[in-house]
Amino acid sequence: MTEPVWGPVHRDIVDLLADHPADVPAVVDHLTKLQDLLVRLPPLEESCPLADFNKLYLTITSSVLDGLYDDRFVDPVFLSRLDVEFAARYFDAMRMWTDSSPGTPKAWSCLFERMRGPDARPLPSAAAGVNAHINFDLPFALVTTFDHLESEPVDGSDQHHDYLEINNIFADKIPGLRRGYLERWQLLIDMLNGDIDDWYQGELVEYTRDVAWRNAQKIWRCRHDPDARECERTRLDDNAAALGRLLLSPLGAFLQ
Amino acid sequence: MASDVDTAPLVGRAGLVQTVRSALLGDVAHGQTAAVFLTGESGVGKTRLLGEIGDRLRDQGALVLTGSCLDIGDASPLHPLLQALRRFDADLSAAQSRTSSAVRGLLQMFADETAGPDGAGALLERVSRGLHLIAEGRPLVLILDDLQWVDRSTRQLLLYLLAGLGDLQLSVLAAVRAESLQGAHPLRRVLTELRRLRTVRVLDLAPLDRAGTEELAAAVVGRPLPAEAAEQVWQRSGGNPFVIEELARDLRDGRVGLSETLREIFLDRVDALPQHAHAVVHAVAAGVEPVQHWLLAEVLRLPEEELIDAARAAVAHRLLVGADDGYRLRHRLVAEVLAHELLPAERSGLHRRYAEALTAAPGELHQARLAHHWRLAGEPARALPAAVAAAQEAERLHGYAEAHRHWSVALQLAGDSGSLAVDRVELLGNAAEAAHHCGEHARALTLLEELAEVQGGAPTCALHIRRARYLAAAGRSALAEEEYQRALEAADCSPRDRATAAARLAELLLYLGRYADAGQRAREALALAADAEDSATEVVLASSALGFSDAYLEDPDAGLAVMRDALDTAERAGQPEDVACAYLHLAELLTGPLNVLEEGVVVARRGAERVAELGLGRTWGTRLLAIAINGLFRVGQWAEAEKVVAAALRHRPSGADAVELLLARCRLSVGYGDIDAASRDLDAVATLLAGGGARHVIPLLTLRSGLAMWEGRHDVARQAVQRGLTESRSDDVTILSALVWHGLRAEAEAHASRTVAVDPTAVRRLRDVAERVARKSASAAGPVRSVVDGFLALCAAEVSRLDGSDPELWAASVAEWDRRNHPYPAAYSRLRQAEALLARRSRVATAGKLLRAAYEVAQGLGAVPLTSEIRELAGRARVSLEEREQTDTARGAGPGEVADDELATLTAREREVLALVAEGLTNREIGQRLFISERTIGVHVSHIFDKLQVRTRVQASAIHLRNRRG
Repeated sequence: MTEPVWGPVHRDIVDLLADHPADVPAVVDHLTKLQDLLVRLPPLEESCPLADFNKLYLTITSSVLDGLYDDRFVDPVFLSRLDVEFAARYFDAMRMWTDSSPGTPKAWSCLFERMRGPDARPLPSAAAGVNAHINFDLPFALVTTFDHLESEPVDGSDQHHDYLEINNIFADKIPGLRRGYLERWQLLIDMLNGDIDDWYQGELVEYTRDVAWRNAQKIWRCRHDPDARECERTRLDDNAAALGRLLLSPLGAFLQ
Repeated sequence: MASDVDTAPLVGRAGLVQTVRSALLGDVAHGQTAAVFLTGESGVGKTRLLGEIGDRLRDQGALVLTGSCLDIGDASPLHPLLQALRRFDADLSAAQSRTSSAVRGLLQMFADETAGPDGAGALLERVSRGLHLIAEGRPLVLILDDLQWVDRSTRQLLLYLLAGLGDLQLSVLAAVRAESLQGAHPLRRVLTELRRLRTVRVLDLAPLDRAGTEELAAAVVGRPLPAEAAEQVWQRSGGNPFVIEELARDLRDGRVGLSETLREIFLDRVDALPQHAHAVVHAVAAGVEPVQHWLLAEVLRLPEEELIDAARAAVAHRLLVGADDGYRLRHRLVAEVLAHELLPAERSGLHRRYAEALTAAPGELHQARLAHHWRLAGEPARALPAAVAAAQEAERLHGYAEAHRHWSVALQLAGDSGSLAVDRVELLGNAAEAAHHCGEHARALTLLEELAEVQGGAPTCALHIRRARYLAAAGRSALAEEEYQRALEAADCSPRDRATAAARLAELLLYLGRYADAGQRAREALALAADAEDSATEVVLASSALGFSDAYLEDPDAGLAVMRDALDTAERAGQPEDVACAYLHLAELLTGPLNVLEEGVVVARRGAERVAELGLGRTWGTRLLAIAINGLFRVGQWAEAEKVVAAALRHRPSGADAVELLLARCRLSVGYGDIDAASRDLDAVATLLAGGGARHVIPLLTLRSGLAMWEGRHDVARQAVQRGLTESRSDDVTILSALVWHGLRAEAEAHASRTVAVDPTAVRRLRDVAERVARKSASAAGPVRSVVDGFLALCAAEVSRLDGSDPELWAASVAEWDRRNHPYPAAYSRLRQAEALLARRSRVATAGKLLRAAYEVAQGLGAVPLTSEIRELAGRARVSLEEREQTDTARGAGPGEVADDELATLTAREREVLALVAEGLTNREIGQRLFISERTIGVHVSHIFDKLQVRTRVQASAIHLRNRRG
């Protein structure tokens, strides 16, 4: 009999994932519980690469929650929906991985595979998760949110402003974790925010932070066309997976 | 052969079938709704399960309608429902003529539908009436396959029916491909919201496990598989039943070696097909399923017998399925395999033959299919008129999202064909309007830009107004304002256009809270309208902007006078919509900023009657009644409000109107303490909001927390408020202040009841928000400030409850709500003021008066939970609530207290103390609870011990428990 995907905490994780958090406080609660479970996952336990990502994501989401309470955003309805929808995709990926589903996004499975080792450094691990989450999940989360709110991704709108504000939260939180590796992190963030093509074309400086937003606009335009949408999904998944593997390769360790 | 198709048993799903059956039928209370959504990957067996469950439910006496959604992307609104009705009708026997005529009646209704205002809502109502007739009292089950391709109209219909607005006992069973939900599918959000409800289940259909895989494979093969083969099937299928079945069949039929992939299995089969069967499979793949036999015959031009042989061969090779309504590919995966097997010329040839055959024979989805086939046949000029007709057809059924897509295709086709036969300006105009209607604002604006270019020259006044309207709808107010300015300055602006632009601009400014500017524009608009013909609409619009801006600028009389004049103007001009609109604004003005509730209610009810005479009862009448209901609730005429709710719901409103009414009814139920009714309405609102409508989320959450507090679930109340705080805009001060009060009250209740720990972080956040609200409302208009002040007074007083409730703060709250003439919150505040006074053991007589006043109001309202809290407090404090009762208690024993047990020797007070001892409270705590000193409690306790002849609290508690009645 094969061992369960989540080892000794399998049952706990499956039970946790059975719940679908519907608001930001619930998402934070969910991530907190998940963190407690992930660090108990053998063989790596405390240095589980997914836990490295989850911890960073929890920190960021908690800051978003504080921002919501503190009236930091112009359109909290939009931002809360986006945050919940965004997190749901991470939980979905974990659920699919749990079921060994072939539908697990490659962007995520390259990180999940590493839970069994070999050990990866915490920074690149967290970065690989951020990569999957931003470069693959975020554009779709944006599109779903806009669709639900009967709004649309328009540059310069209130929602766009709030969206960019999240980037500031990422920027705020990440330096705290990086312990002085500023330049390398900056490079990494820039890489993460650009898809590989853009990065190669050296066009990143102007709009790196906005790549997910622009991808969302692209998907938005073809969202009624299942084929085109699927095509876009595959493209994003492939790009994010390629970058994720790079980050988890020995090359990624240079960041640490 | 054909019978081979479904012989494999259903393995590993018995539990699921049972769960779904009871969720959809067994556990559904009469007149209620339920839904199960099955998600799972392709081939996991969703369709099979739908069929299986449908059969069982039919056997149990349910009326089952089944339809599938289509993936041609440009289908027609409500297609799955229409298909389900047609299929159902075809299956009815001659003996069921009554049902059959009901089905045909409903289908005819769709055929007769015409585009018009409120069309979509009225259509929903007629559909539910039609389904009612068909069901004839039986539970109705609607089964929909491939829900990932559902059109927007069907989605809205489902939510409307599931919210119970159709007044039907209805269950929905739908299958969704899990893969589709991974992208940016609109159903994702819908399912996230719905899965929280008690009546909805979202079940994920997992692949089979190892044992299930072997069982299924063995059943197909007819004997258990050898270990090695079993392992291979398991490895290659991953437990996917569709794949298992196909692999096992290859094994059974001795095909050499297992194919590596499903693709190979099907490619081998396609290769092995006889020539005509090959053609059949490709033709069906190019068609829109189900492909009827006659159509296939036309497309393939085969003699009947050869066609039948070919179709049989394709079925035998498990590539095709034949049913009464036509042929389908066996699985979506087959279509994917076939997609690359034809030359482009072959494929367009097939599409051309489809288009030709369909042209001669109008049928289901006629225009949409024609457009689809002609386009793929590479004939844009012939596809164009069909696309235009399909767009008009969609608009006739109020499916603007679908119409917009057809118009967009038409525009593209017009470009490709270079056809001069169509007016591009008209196409662009229609496309833009449809985009605007279905919320695609950016697209609508782009189309308008293009329209301006095609027209050439300076943009016209009408174009500016239109652009401004779209911008305002997209929430881009600053740009909309500029655009109205340009309209006013345009050279070709007629007096009436000018009046329109000014009136709309005034409305926009009012919405932005710029009252002085709004008032000025409104006066301008009124002056312009005076010189223009037929301008009652503009007069009503401008007057309402002026009326509200005056009221907000604290000149209520002037505002009211303007609005009354506007009603007269509208009545004289005689346009029903104008009259309705004038009534609505007048009633809103009175019940809103002016807070003249009684008169507002009278106007709203008179207006509702009047607009019903004018034929607008369903829409405007409902809205007016909603205003009346909320007014009646606030002035404390709950019984009357309840009657009006029932009357309004008889119109079966939909969308935002329905949400308003359900929230109003829920507010009453929460006040009455009718937990079931309130929960049902909350679920119904949540169901409707799953389809969109962020505006109503905060009122929903406020009610959810109010209800949870009556249930003693203060943590649930806290969660609802926290969600609300993270999802509300800080400029909605009124709504936010009510929410914050609920949050602070939940913490105070948690503190008082000790059932849930107080969350200090939550308290701090709530106080922060309350301060922010106070700051923001300081600069708001007087009427807004006045409402907010009432809630802020409550907030301040609730905070004091966490740390020795302050009677002065409660007195301030009483004064606020008395001033505004809202008896319910005033009575609540009196209760708390009395409680605070009693806790300080000061001014007991005042506390008694307050409690009696609160009691009288609460009883008059029928506010059960509030009444019982007042009674409970009065009981503990020994305050009598009625004059007559006072003489009773003066004589000694409380009313109704029979003591013929071991406790007979105790006084009523001692029994009360004993009950609290048994709860484990200390003397100090009991003293606080009963408003007497700790020392007095000590005396009571020692008397109790003496009388019961015990020495410990535990022994005393045991006697109490033994003698407790009930």
